[in-house]
Amino acid sequence: MGLVPKFLKQLPKVAKLLMLIALIMIAIIPMDGQYRRTYISENALMPSQAYSYFRESEWNIVRGYRSQIEEFKNNEVATQERNTIVESWLQDFGIKTSVYHNEEHGDTLYGILHTPRGDGTEAIVLSIPWFNSDDEFNVGGAALGIGLLRYFSRWPIWSKNLIIVFSENPRDSLRSWVEAYHTSLDLTGGSIEAAINIDYASNSDFLDYVEIYYDGLNGELPNLDLLNVAVKITQHEGMKVSLNGQSKDTIDDTGYLPRLKTLLLGIRDSTFAGIKKTHGNEAFSGWRIQAVTLKACGEQGNIDITTFGRVPEAIFRSVNNLLEKFHQSFFFYLMLAPRNFVSISSYLPSAVIISIVYATFSLDALVNTSIGSPVFYNTESLSSLVIWSIALATSYVLAQAFVYAPIPELLLAINACIVMIPYLLRKPISILKEPLSYRIRVFGFLYMSLALTSLLVINFPLAFVMGVLSFPMTLVETEKAGSLKQKTVKIKNMICLTLSNPFFAILIISNVVDSELSSLQVFFGLVSAWKDLNCWTWYVICIAWFPAWLLITMSAIVSTPVDTEKKHQ
Amino acid sequence: MRHSPITIALLLLCKLAFVVTSTEDPEESKIKTSDNHDNELFRVMEGGIEYPYEEVLNVRPLPHNHLLSSFQFQMNSEPFYPGQSLHGFETYDHYTVFPKSLEPLLRRTDVRKLHLRFTRGYWDSEEWGRLPHQGFKSGGSGVELWAVVEGSSKQEAYNKWKSLANGLSGSFCASINFIDNAKTNYPVFSFQPVETNFDGIPLFNETNELYLMHASLANEPICTENLTPLLTLLPSKGKSGISSLLDGHKLFDSIWHNMAIDIQTSCIDNDRYANNGECYFEMESNVDVVAHVPSILSRNKHPIPKPLGGEDLHCDLSKPYDAYQCFPSPETTEIQFSLSDIFGKNISGANDLSFTHSKICASVSDNWLATIKVDDGLFGTDDNCFELTENRNYDIYMESGSTDKVIPVDDVPIYASRSLTGYGQDHGGLRTVFTNPTHKPVRLSYYESLPWFMRVYLSTLDMEVTHGNKEGFTLNDIVESQYYIPSIDRKRSSQLEFIMTIPANSTIALSYEFDKALLHFTEYPPDANHGFEIESLIITILEPIPYQLRTATLLVYLSTPDFSMPYNVIIISSTIMGLIFGTLYNLITKKMVPMEEAEKILATRSIKYKLTMLKQRVVSKFGF
Repeated sequence: MGLVPKFLKQLPKVAKLLMLIALIMIAIIPMDGQYRRTYISENALMPSQAYSYFRESEWNIVRGYRSQIEEFKNNEVATQERNTIVESWLQDFGIKTSVYHNEEHGDTLYGILHTPRGDGTEAIVLSIPWFNSDDEFNVGGAALGIGLLRYFSRWPIWSKNLIIVFSENPRDSLRSWVEAYHTSLDLTGGSIEAAINIDYASNSDFLDYVEIYYDGLNGELPNLDLLNVAVKITQHEGMKVSLNGQSKDTIDDTGYLPRLKTLLLGIRDSTFAGIKKTHGNEAFSGWRIQAVTLKACGEQGNIDITTFGRVPEAIFRSVNNLLEKFHQSFFFYLMLAPRNFVSISSYLPSAVIISIVYATFSLDALVNTSIGSPVFYNTESLSSLVIWSIALATSYVLAQAFVYAPIPELLLAINACIVMIPYLLRKPISILKEPLSYRIRVFGFLYMSLALTSLLVINFPLAFVMGVLSFPMTLVETEKAGSLKQKTVKIKNMICLTLSNPFFAILIISNVVDSELSSLQVFFGLVSAWKDLNCWTWYVICIAWFPAWLLITMSAIVSTPVDTEKKHQ
Repeated sequence: MRHSPITIALLLLCKLAFVVTSTEDPEESKIKTSDNHDNELFRVMEGGIEYPYEEVLNVRPLPHNHLLSSFQFQMNSEPFYPGQSLHGFETYDHYTVFPKSLEPLLRRTDVRKLHLRFTRGYWDSEEWGRLPHQGFKSGGSGVELWAVVEGSSKQEAYNKWKSLANGLSGSFCASINFIDNAKTNYPVFSFQPVETNFDGIPLFNETNELYLMHASLANEPICTENLTPLLTLLPSKGKSGISSLLDGHKLFDSIWHNMAIDIQTSCIDNDRYANNGECYFEMESNVDVVAHVPSILSRNKHPIPKPLGGEDLHCDLSKPYDAYQCFPSPETTEIQFSLSDIFGKNISGANDLSFTHSKICASVSDNWLATIKVDDGLFGTDDNCFELTENRNYDIYMESGSTDKVIPVDDVPIYASRSLTGYGQDHGGLRTVFTNPTHKPVRLSYYESLPWFMRVYLSTLDMEVTHGNKEGFTLNDIVESQYYIPSIDRKRSSQLEFIMTIPANSTIALSYEFDKALLHFTEYPPDANHGFEIESLIITILEPIPYQLRTATLLVYLSTPDFSMPYNVIIISSTIMGLIFGTLYNLITKKMVPMEEAEKILATRSIKYKLTMLKQRVVSKFGF
């Protein structure tokens, strides 16, 4: 036998080896020498190069505002009244205000400081949701935001308009405002360059450390320069930075495992961005807006509220320095530690290899069959294509139906039934002949590979997670009637199909890795992410992963063997 | 105004001395003045020669402690005779107060009317009411230029216009020379001179026609480099009179500032085609500036706005306050300042050139006190207007205990704002919101020029009533006439003009969509990643009152390649190509051999060896 046929025979092994390589490639990223230290790419940013003056008596003013905002909470003041009062405070120092009314998502108060040196074409946003992701009243954040803007209004240096936004929550309410800003608002202040969200949901003067959130929707990330500026300034002011929601006692850890943990948490957070609790930065994703959220954690500590306030101050000054848009630094990266990252070139090959794995399995299903020499252009291919189209259409209908009627139990039940079909069907179906089964498999894997390839550049974390989770699909064997080990194969197939079913897999992984997404929460999260935030993870899962899985399931149904002799004629 | 008798006497002495020295040929000037009884170009007064030049400064407090200072300078040129050739040996030009740098340019390019604007900042019309001079003296953010040029054809007029732009570019240190075909528009509804159909604008050649051209450079930075040339155009050169207040540091540190030059040609003879009539240029220059007084005063005190000391905090006493917390009280309503605080300089003396004395007026309500400070004395007048008559240091001192009361601002007939809409890099939309707060419908003209790379879909033009009577209004009811010139790639911008009526008490949003074109890579500006500036939308109100306003400029972002990326790719691929080519070329053309073999080969190539071989062959052939 020649080298090529030998190689072709070993395709499944090759593919499994490739999968292993892909995982190893991710695993070696946190090793010393594989990652890079962050740096500021755009020289104009100059973070922390100017002395920050948000201190001393500004603290009194923040406390003054806070005492009044606490009253809102104590007296349970309604949104409308609260907005009216804050509006009058903002107008006192010359801010143009307006309220965006939205019956579905709540009113949003916003104000624009038209800056004297600016040309009114660009803006920086300071966004303060009244209630944070944990539904706590953002009392410190609101006081800080108003105090900061009042302080900013005294400076003549601003070259971009400053916008302050008080939305009801950091999720749908803020997102609807951002959308309205780009469609229907009458009071606007130019294109938004960057947005800083402040989350300080305590009335304490002190805090412990700062969590920075940066994930955008649909695989988007803010420019690494903005994240670096935020991290650098926060650390410069003497605060500890936690990324991806790491707890305080693990912030200082260095070494391979902590870096790997941050990396994997980053992949998790990015995959589930918009599906889990949002912090505000997600709402700005798109429209070329770079956004981060600064969350003050802990009420005890030696960091005071003005120190925390100097972080947005210095970020604003940095962004204000920009003459161009954010474009110098990376838009695709993974963080390993606040000051360590890898760029797309280090991790993308892993996702590419995963998509090759599926292409390899597709090739395997084409050449390594018992039906003889592979011919691509035949009736089976055409039928498979028709079946694939039907599967795609079904998946789309299912995706749409679920968005309108999100009943996860029903969805899972339907999928459980589909999983059982190959197990329960003992007799071969007459239409499903063996060559067709194999051809369906070819198309299933090919589609998966194509879907992953097109997704991996846009949304690496999702492509990677999908690729890894649907791997058990490749272990599903196509069986023909009369095989000896039918029972074992059927059970193995059923387990693999269950594990690689998009809905079961997402359910399992969300419950294992994310405490926020317990039980069936992930499904509601997926639907609300689409409805509230235009995050298309649900449709990617339904339209890319589910049809492929359906085809593989179909190929696992017992098929009628075809006499090879007959085929040859 | 009161003066001490001694100063008046001194002043008279000075001026008499000036008369003796400067009027060398009084007869000639007398003849001239008697000739031009309609329009005195200069006349000899007891104080000396005085020229057709006037300057006025109007200071007006606006709500929320803002102060509008409007400088106005007016001057006329010496007469000229359109029929006369410019280049004759016998002719000579005589210049007095009219800038020598402008007049030859104006005459060479046959400009009948010229308007140049340098504007920057945010005019808060909700607080401050109408723009100064009803908006007709201010431009959009950046530089704006429009002119009426006489020419035999459109192309000739354009050539003159281009020449004018180049000339002004040099005079004002601004990028006006970037005005080209793609930036020049010929307005149809807007900017039409007050003299309808150009009647009243002199035409020097009967066969010629007048062409109105407009161009603007959005967000062209305005700085001291533009102010200094403007000051040198004034006869006082910024050294005396009210122009001595103008200082770049303070002027450009304001909330809104505007510099304008308006020149028009006037002819004595009423006949429009007065080829041999006597004509002259009238020039008006305005500088308007709005400053926020408390912030300027505090910046004079502490250049860096550091946190205030505990004793300087103004707390709201109705809310809890102590040594740790302070709810800030609204802005103070007590204020005292002098113009030297705002402009950083005193007025250094009167100007001695004009017909009338330099004048400063304070438009204030009764709760304000405005006085003039001459050296160390303070003087007041009934009408709050002061004339500068002496060569001494002047300053205006103003104070009020209730700055929330000012002369009521004029109601604005319309508010307009424009914003970019849409998501993504390939298309977008423009949305303009008109708010008519008055009880009368407002008829206006809408003028918008968009660069060619914004491909407008006029079919998507849509109207939405966001506030007010929503019933019964369609786009056709609002827009009564449209004028649209589509763009030509790289050659012409698209021009959109409407005449529309905004119903009373309503807010209307007009929106349309556009595609963003792809540019050639050389067409990107050096700072490609900043975006492309889109000039302001210009709204001229026709009824009920004439008024003009402009929206803010916009920044459109086109899909921009990362220019460093192709550079890297070119470098890397060139290196690889070089390496591969070198290696391949060597492999193809050269042969690798060991040293011994190479020596053998070399040995066979020598002439001596060849001779030996030849000899051997000859010997073997003849069989010796």
